[in-house]
Amino acid sequence: MWSWLFQRITAVLLIVCLAIHLIFTHILSIGELDYINIGDRLAHAGLTAVDIILLAAGIYHALNGLRMVLMDYWFTSRKRALTLTIGLWVVGLAFMGYGTWALWPWIS
Amino acid sequence: MSGKPRETANVGAGLWKATGMWAWLLFRISGLVLVFYLGAHIIIISTGQFGADGEALNGFMKTFDHPVAVLLDLALVVAVLYHALNGVRIILMDFGVGVQRHKIIFWSAMAVVVICFAIFAWVALTYIVTGEGVTS
Repeated sequence: MWSWLFQRITAVLLIVCLAIHLIFTHILSIGELDYINIGDRLAHAGLTAVDIILLAAGIYHALNGLRMVLMDYWFTSRKRALTLTIGLWVVGLAFMGYGTWALWPWIS
Repeated sequence: MSGKPRETANVGAGLWKATGMWAWLLFRISGLVLVFYLGAHIIIISTGQFGADGEALNGFMKTFDHPVAVLLDLALVVAVLYHALNGVRIILMDFGVGVQRHKIIFWSAMAVVVICFAIFAWVALTYIVTGEGVTS
């Protein structure tokens, strides 16, 4: 039941980090959302850390949630569920790599 | 787990008379919307890599300044807040908090959704009307 536990741990991380993300992006700094503006925020190591946590926790929570939904429909057998889990891990790791690469121009 | 007899009034089609069933369905729908949004968000932000000085990304950001896009952002805020607060309720239930009073907990969570939504609605409407942020 690790997936159950990790779904809750990532949920708590997402609530805290998403609140920080939304407040900094849309309340403390709004109207100038562009390449430069994003870079200004990511110049702070703390906000970069929040974004990386959001990326990892978000992808895990999203795909594990999707997995739970899909296992209610077609991926009902043990074999299909395993195929689904492996497939989603591949997709998730790919998005994690791509998302980190996407942030690179600002954090490097 | 409670020692009381299990609630059996809401069975079959009657399930949909139960608050919890709607809470579950909306949780699932908002979750699926957010999975889709996360993928789109990562891909849109990754355009910062394309064109000189984030030219492609700036083009997208300009498009998203349109009032219709801002209203869609506000709909996204509803999905996020609902999913987050109903999620808090589920975690509380995991710890055995509010199992007997889950309806009160649910509607309290929804009150928090409304309050947080009001803050973001104020930000979004200020932006649509004045083109400025609330703190800029």
